[in-house]
Amino acid sequence: MAEKTADAIKYKILRFLDVTGFTVFDPIVRLAFREEPKKQLESIFKFLIIPIMFICFCVWVWWTVAPNHKTKSGEVPTPDVVMQSARINHTFSEREKTKETDFLLVGEERLAALAAVEAEMESKSVILAELEARLAQHESNYAQVLEARLAPLQKELDEVKAKYDAIEAEKKVLITEAAAAIEAGTGTTEALLAAIRAEGIAKDESRAAESIIKDKIDAIRSDKYKPLETARLDVNAVADQIQFLKKRVDFLSQSNRSMKVLEAEETLMEYQAKLAKATTAKAALSEAKRVVRAEDSIERLEKQQYASAMTVYLQVKRSIFTVFVGFVVAAIIAIPVGILCGLSRIAMACLTPIISIFKPVSPVVWLLIFQIVVGAFFPDPESHPFFLFFNSLPFIGNLGINPALIFSGCTVAMCAVWPALVNTALGVASIDKDHINVARVLRLNFWERLTKIIIPSAMPLIFAGLRISLGVGWMVLIAAEALSSSDGLGKFVWDEYQNGSSFSFANIIYACFVVGIIGFCLDRMMIVLQRFVSFDESGTSL
Amino acid sequence: MSDERYVEIFNLVKAYPNPFGDEIKVVDGFELKVPRGDVVSIIGHSGCGKSTVLNMIAGLSPISDGGIIVANKEIDGPGPDRAVVFQAPCLLPWMTSFQNVMLGVKRSYPHASRQERKEVVEASLIMVGLSDAMHKYPREMSGGMQQRVGIARAIALKPRMLLLDEPLGRLDSLTRMELQDVILRILDKEKITTMMVTHDPDEAVFMSDRICMMTNGPHAKVGEVMEIEFERPRSREEIMETDQFYEYRRRLLAFLDECEHEKEARKKKVG
Repeated sequence: MAEKTADAIKYKILRFLDVTGFTVFDPIVRLAFREEPKKQLESIFKFLIIPIMFICFCVWVWWTVAPNHKTKSGEVPTPDVVMQSARINHTFSEREKTKETDFLLVGEERLAALAAVEAEMESKSVILAELEARLAQHESNYAQVLEARLAPLQKELDEVKAKYDAIEAEKKVLITEAAAAIEAGTGTTEALLAAIRAEGIAKDESRAAESIIKDKIDAIRSDKYKPLETARLDVNAVADQIQFLKKRVDFLSQSNRSMKVLEAEETLMEYQAKLAKATTAKAALSEAKRVVRAEDSIERLEKQQYASAMTVYLQVKRSIFTVFVGFVVAAIIAIPVGILCGLSRIAMACLTPIISIFKPVSPVVWLLIFQIVVGAFFPDPESHPFFLFFNSLPFIGNLGINPALIFSGCTVAMCAVWPALVNTALGVASIDKDHINVARVLRLNFWERLTKIIIPSAMPLIFAGLRISLGVGWMVLIAAEALSSSDGLGKFVWDEYQNGSSFSFANIIYACFVVGIIGFCLDRMMIVLQRFVSFDESGTSL
Repeated sequence: MSDERYVEIFNLVKAYPNPFGDEIKVVDGFELKVPRGDVVSIIGHSGCGKSTVLNMIAGLSPISDGGIIVANKEIDGPGPDRAVVFQAPCLLPWMTSFQNVMLGVKRSYPHASRQERKEVVEASLIMVGLSDAMHKYPREMSGGMQQRVGIARAIALKPRMLLLDEPLGRLDSLTRMELQDVILRILDKEKITTMMVTHDPDEAVFMSDRICMMTNGPHAKVGEVMEIEFERPRSREEIMETDQFYEYRRRLLAFLDECEHEKEARKKKVG
C-alpha cells in the first residue's frame, strides 16, 4: 500500500514536471524513488551535470574576460559585481518598505520604534567613529609605505631627468655651433639639420625614459592596498546605514503622517481661536478662510500615502502589468480577426496587405505614433477620470497608471497582435477536412461549428501564436519603456545608462538577467496553458 | 411510399472537368434500387468510384447528373437522415466519446430533454459495446474502439439510411470481424437501410442482402447485383460452413477478375 502511494506521488511529480516542461529533472525524482538508479545517474550526468558545467564554464569566461575590457563607465562588471548590485537593489527596496511603515506608524508604536532606531543610531555612531579612526590609521600607514616605495623611483626619475637635461643642453650647443658655422661660411646646412634632428631624437629618448618610470610610479599609486580598501568600504557601509537611520528618525518624527496631522490640527485650533476672537468683518473672513484651508489640508494629510521611490521590484511589477495590458488587447483583437481570416477568404484577402505592411514596422515607430495619439486623448492626465479610477483600484493603484503606460501597452499590443493573428488564421484554415465533413453530415449550425469544431481544433496553434506574441510583447516593452520613460524595467535600464554611477553598468547587466528570467517565466506560463488547452498530448518545443 | 424503392438512384453521374474543358466521367449511369431495411454492399476495384457514389448519396460530393431519392425525397446536401461512418473514425479529439455522440444528437432531437438525449447517447454507446468507455477521449482508445464510437454517433441520429465508407478498412482482421458482428447485430435490431462500401469479398457476402458490383472506371456503373439469400440473424460459423457462401464468393471474385481483364484489354487496345 505504502509503495502504491509513493508511486502515485512519484507520477504526480513527474506529470507536473512534464506539464511545466522541466522534464530534465525527471531522473532526480526517479532516483529519489529508487527507480533504476544506474540509469538515472547516467542521465543526470548527461543532461544536468554537463550542462551545469558548461554554464559554469561560460561564467568563468565572463569572469576572466570582463575585467580586460576597459570602458568609459569602468570595467565590464564581473558576476560578483552584478550579484552585489542585485543585493544593493534589494536593500534599497527593503529600506523603502521600512520607511513606508515608519511613515504610517502612530502612537505608542511610533515612539517605541523611534527609541529603537535612535538607540541603534547611537551604537552605529560609536562603531563609525572606531572605523573612521582605523581608516585614518590605515591611511597614514599606507602613506608611509607608499612614500617608501616611491622614494627610489622618484630619485631615479630625477636622475634620468638630470641626465637627459645635460644631453639636451649639449645638443643645443651643437645646434648653435652649426648655425654659427653657416654664418661664418664654414658649415653646411646638412650639418645644421642633422644637429636639429639629433636634438629631437634626444628629447624623444628622454621622454620615453621618463614615462617608463612615471608609469611605474602611477602603477604603485593606483595599487589597491587591501586593508585600506576594506576599511574604507566598512566606513562607507556604516555611514550609509546611519544615513538610513537618520531618514527613519525623520519619518518617525517630523515627517510621520500622524505627526503632520497633529501639527496641522494645532494650526487649525490656532486659527479657530483667532476666528472666535475676530471682531471686524474683514478679519473674520480671512480667519474663516484659513480655517477652511487648514481643515482641507488635514483631510488631505490623513489620506496621504508614502511616496515610494521606484525600486526595481516596483519596476518589474509595472512592466509585467503593462505587458499584460498589451497582450490582452492583442489577444482580444487577434483571435476574432484571425478566426475571421481563417474562415473567409475574402477577409483574408482584405487583411493580408494590412498585415504584411504593418507587421515589419519597428516598435519605435509605433511608440511615437501612439504617444501622439494617446496624448491627444488625455490633455490633462493628472485629473482625467480614467486614470483617477484606475489609480484608486487596489493592487494596481500603486503602479501609477499614466498615459506613458497606456501607449507603451498599445505599442506592445501593436507588435504582439501579428503572430497571434497569423497563427489563429492558419489554425482555423488548416482544420481537418474530416472534421468539416462530420460537421456537414451532422448539419451543425455556424455557431456550433465555431465553438465545437473550429476553435477547439485551432486551439493549439492559437496558443502557439499567443506564446510568440507574449515573447515579442515583452521584448518590445523593454525598448518602449526605455524610449518613452514609462516606469518599468526599460526605464530602469535607461536611467542607469544615463546617470553613470559606479554601479550603473552592473545594474544594467543585472536588469538584463531580470528581464531574461521574467521572459522565461512568462513563456513557461504560456507553455503550461497551451498544454492544458491542447487536445493532443504532444510536447511543446522549448 | 414504396418499401421496395426506399432508396432509388438513377443515372448517377460524377464528372470532373479537366483543364482543357472536357469532362471525365468517373461514374456514369449508376442505377440502383434498395428496398427498405436492406443492406447493400458496393464492391469494386480501388479507384472505381465506389466512395464517390457513397459521398454523393451522403451529400458531401455534388452530383453532376442524375438523382438520388431517399424515402421519396430527392437529396440535397448532407444531413443527419443519412448518417455516415467514415473510413477514419473522424472523432473530435477534444471531446469524450459521449460528447462526440452527443454532438449529433443535439441536432437530430431538438425537442428532447437533456435526460432523453443523454439516454439516447448512452443507449447507442452501449449498443456498440462501449459502456465502459463513455467518458474516454479518442486518444485513450484503440482504433477499433474509436470506430465503434463513430458507429454509435451514426446510429444515435436515428437515420433513414446508414452509409458506411469502408468503415473497417483500417482495422486489423480480428478487430474487423468483431466489428462486423457488432454492426450486423445493430442492423438486425434497428433495420436501417444501409449501404456499405467495401473491398473485402468475405465481408460483403457475410454482411449484405445484396452486393452491387461496380465495373472499373472511368464510366463506372453497376455491373451486376447479386442477391445473398442467407437468413438473418446470421452467424459467422454457420455461414462459413455452407457451400453457398463459397459460391457467392467465387462469383464475386470472378466478376472482379473479369473487370480487371477488361481493363487490361482496353489498355492494350489504346496502346
